[in-house]
Amino acid sequence: MKLTIDQRWDLIDKIAKQTVTFGEYRHTLKDAIGELTVKPFTGIPIAIAVMYAFWSIFGSFAGFFTDGFFVRLFDAYWLPWLQEVFPGQGGWLYAIMVDAGGIEGGEFVLSDNCLESFGVLTSGIFVAIGVVLPAIVIFYLMLALLEDIGYMPRLAVLIDTMLHKIGLHGYAIVPTILSLGCNVPGVTATRILETKKQRFIMMTLLAIFIPCGAQIGIMQDVIPGLMGWILLYLIIGYFIFGYILNKIVPGKAPEFLIDVPPYRRPMLSNIGKKVWGRITGFFKVAIPFVLLGAAIVGVLYQIGVIRFLGDALAPVFVGWFGVPKETAGPLIAAFLRKDLAVAQLSVIEMTEYQMITAVVLVSIYFPCVATFAMMLKEGWKELLGAMAVLVVVVFAYGGLIHLIGILLGVA
Amino acid sequence: MKVLLMGHPNVGKRVFFNRLTGANVTESNYPGTTVDFTKGYMKIGGEDAELIDVPGTFSLDPKDKAEEVAVAMLHENKDAKVICVIDASKIERGVYLALEILEEGYPMVIALNMWDAAVDKNIRIDINNLQRILDVPVVPTVAISGEGIKELISRLKEAKPVEIDDIIRNAGGLT
Repeated sequence: MKLTIDQRWDLIDKIAKQTVTFGEYRHTLKDAIGELTVKPFTGIPIAIAVMYAFWSIFGSFAGFFTDGFFVRLFDAYWLPWLQEVFPGQGGWLYAIMVDAGGIEGGEFVLSDNCLESFGVLTSGIFVAIGVVLPAIVIFYLMLALLEDIGYMPRLAVLIDTMLHKIGLHGYAIVPTILSLGCNVPGVTATRILETKKQRFIMMTLLAIFIPCGAQIGIMQDVIPGLMGWILLYLIIGYFIFGYILNKIVPGKAPEFLIDVPPYRRPMLSNIGKKVWGRITGFFKVAIPFVLLGAAIVGVLYQIGVIRFLGDALAPVFVGWFGVPKETAGPLIAAFLRKDLAVAQLSVIEMTEYQMITAVVLVSIYFPCVATFAMMLKEGWKELLGAMAVLVVVVFAYGGLIHLIGILLGVA
Repeated sequence: MKVLLMGHPNVGKRVFFNRLTGANVTESNYPGTTVDFTKGYMKIGGEDAELIDVPGTFSLDPKDKAEEVAVAMLHENKDAKVICVIDASKIERGVYLALEILEEGYPMVIALNMWDAAVDKNIRIDINNLQRILDVPVVPTVAISGEGIKELISRLKEAKPVEIDDIIRNAGGLT
């Protein structure tokens, strides 16, 4: 037999009256802290402080390991050693695996660091292990702490009003922050949103505008001075296009109800497990793709496809986006790994503003292949829609950034 | 035997799941960590049992995709037993979901989880009376520290379908 909703509540009332007694409730310190972090007056400054702390710890930890240890290890020992022992210097296999080198004064010279060498075994491994690994370790460690303490739902409550403007609600902060680690779990997390419209907006926005941990890690290392601008452009884009999508995508964006759980002491074992799970996941997925990406781009350079594409697309690159045509190579690599693409961009000669534009383009132009596959799993219609939005966004926003540069007199 | 772990979001289903199956799925202190189901295996009284961690849901009337997955899981496993995990300090709405599942005829045991938090809040629950009315095993648990889990599992064999009419009678009738 099935009850109606009213009958069910009636029954529950009866049961509760007979079985539950509420004693006097004491306001605890935990409750007090809980309230301080959700009330806007104190909560917003605390949220900013938390984010700032997150960011500075991330930067200094990743910087410490990458610059203090891995850069030296790779540039002073690994690269020269491989350049020495790998056979066939100057040949195509050598160029793809170790060092494509360069021509200086008419002579072939070897690279002196792992970002310029472009080899699978040099740049590829250096980007994956030396730059991205420290970044994601610290990112996931701090994320796990915030998650287990119970801060995320409070952040969701605080940012709710703002996200309503783009058809989402506070809880969209969860997929957004997860995507800052990797877009793949971010896409899965969109399932906590209620309507198709919300899921579509969220998925599209995060695939386009949220840079992943690997990408942030490498930006932090190779172009730290420009990061602020790049992130600013991405955040502005997130809200502009979210606003537009909210207006044009049919469907509803309901209010959200959330239980804010009590703060809890995080369990070390659980945090360890989470971080470990994510790092092993990184090794399984990211490293093969980085190496494959480096190899494909290496081959395409060798057989001249990238020069051809660069020349063919030069009017678009140079005329519309205002970036050098050499960015064609990194944009191809970006489909496999965005971190690799940023590393490749960093050694192309261009002005600061062009660099900002190029890195923003790498971020927004196409989701990496893993994210692409995950979006396909969530539904091909959504994926097609997201791709259509993406093409429009790349041209509109890329052009807009170029225009801003022209107006500011820097492009 | 199949066992479904069901309950509201963020009541600790994952913690149960990890404890029972030795699996390594991550747990988080916010609702909505599980958006897809996870399967694991355990032994109950020498018998192999499949344990399914179902995404959290407030009712059987889904409002988002994760909840749709939850309801579909329940309906696809007509022969399963259900462990309904309820937050002991928010018992009314937990019982709502439990009643809905019982109405569909599933055998059930109830875990009154986060028992320690309820005690801290001075909420007292008469377990025996609750068992008598619902006619299903009710076990207070603290999943994080493992309290009550063994009892919960050992009482799974007592789970049997319950007639809602009996529950209404035990509660003293509807108004």
